[in-house]
Amino acid sequence: MKTDPHYAKAYENMKPGVITAEGFLGDDPRTLADIIEADEEEFARLGLSFEEVAARLKALRDEGKKGLGEPVTVEGKWLVRVDDARGHLPSPFEDGIFRKVNTEVTNLRNGETLVFTDLNLHLLERYHFLEGKGSPFRLEPERIKRVLEG
Amino acid sequence: MSALVIAPLAVGGITAALALLIWLTDRVVNNYGTVTISINGGKKTLTVKGGSPLLLTLAQEQIFIPSACGGRGSCGACKVRVETDIGPHLPTEVPYLTEEERARNVRLSCQVKVKHDLSIEVPEELFLVRRVVAEVSSIRDLTHDIKEVRFRLPEGERIPFKPGQYVQLEVPPYAKIKEPTQRAYSISSLPDEEEIELLIRKVPGGIATTYVHEHMKEGERLALIGPFGDFYLRETDAVMLCVAGGSGMAPFKSILLDMYRRGVNNRQVWFFFGARTRRDLFYVDLWRDLEEKWPVFRFVPALSEDPDYEGEKGLITEVLARYIETTMDREAPKEGYLCGSPGMLDACMNVMRRYGIPEDKIYFDKFA
Repeated sequence: MKTDPHYAKAYENMKPGVITAEGFLGDDPRTLADIIEADEEEFARLGLSFEEVAARLKALRDEGKKGLGEPVTVEGKWLVRVDDARGHLPSPFEDGIFRKVNTEVTNLRNGETLVFTDLNLHLLERYHFLEGKGSPFRLEPERIKRVLEG
Repeated sequence: MSALVIAPLAVGGITAALALLIWLTDRVVNNYGTVTISINGGKKTLTVKGGSPLLLTLAQEQIFIPSACGGRGSCGACKVRVETDIGPHLPTEVPYLTEEERARNVRLSCQVKVKHDLSIEVPEELFLVRRVVAEVSSIRDLTHDIKEVRFRLPEGERIPFKPGQYVQLEVPPYAKIKEPTQRAYSISSLPDEEEIELLIRKVPGGIATTYVHEHMKEGERLALIGPFGDFYLRETDAVMLCVAGGSGMAPFKSILLDMYRRGVNNRQVWFFFGARTRRDLFYVDLWRDLEEKWPVFRFVPALSEDPDYEGEKGLITEVLARYIETTMDREAPKEGYLCGSPGMLDACMNVMRRYGIPEDKIYFDKFA
């Protein structure tokens, strides 16, 4: 499935200057399928599930929204700030359009921070795509684990 | 001549011939010649070279359509009504347009190529928009994540704005960002100043705000394009309820200081400002000083996560509701002025509606 034309088109859309100036692939030379496969293996090694991570990050974002633009302390463990920027981003898989909402989650115990957009969440949940190495919005599995750990 | 020489020459010749063919095809197929764009029923007529997106073509003629993404088709801001039939809407336009807009042939000007004569309609105030290259005269930390940046305009040049409007700042390529990026920021200075002041909060992962916070230097020159926006003071007697958080304070600094300077004393003015902790508060001395000098004005900062704060505590919406309920004349006509995230605006609008402020008397600059 990962080598079908849908993925080939998505890969083209992820290049710099197509949807965003910097693209979704960073300086990662791997194919889309290889990036996804490696991150799936890394998730398994760390004992993470894409569905559970997506649900947790969404829940934190929704709690953060209650701050009306100011950061919010969630469960005494996380500081969550949700920012809205003007504009939208289409999914590189051409399956949706997302408002530019950035969520910053800081684990108050270890100081680790994760920044993700609503589009990140969609790509993580639906395609297990965390962006290429070197991409400004790449979600490193190790970092996800450190931030979500209470 | 040996095959070793002939083969590369042949390949080179074929390559050159193909390149020539592509160039000729491009000249013929993509040559739209000179094209006329009639604006607002002929109030302005442009004669331009065809082939470029409408947004870019108009900008080259000093007509700047608002575009938060700089023409990438990701903000949906650069809407223009095209009266000429230019074919169906493109898939890249459709998500940003309502059914009603599509029926009126509103198009995203960054997605429409100028291929033949066009008749278009744009708001006339856009004729006032200027692109000015200004010098960064000062950068000052207001909080841990908000900077006050001032831009000195070139001698004799002005951006003629109404307090409350915004400009687009053009940030140059840096680090991995290979192209200029435009983002919109409300103006916090007064219209007759020689400098334009912006309050810029760092957005995690934001291209333009990261540049401003980590790379921008005093003395460098950057383009400002503006003014844009319909968030400005309505001259009435109604009580003004202004609500902001973070850098949403910017347009209120311009609007309220301008009102004070013009001696507007015919209405009560409340400014509610929401922050998380004391370190997120700024310009408090400025507003307290204004309270002393301007009897109709009250500043109400509120902190959502600081139990020891001696002032108002809670979300700004709760504080707003409390003040309307207990401190204000419930019968007096009121107007709402809001600047901030869509979440904050929606929450404030709910409170204002609950207390009878009509929808059409709530003015806002929503980041959407």
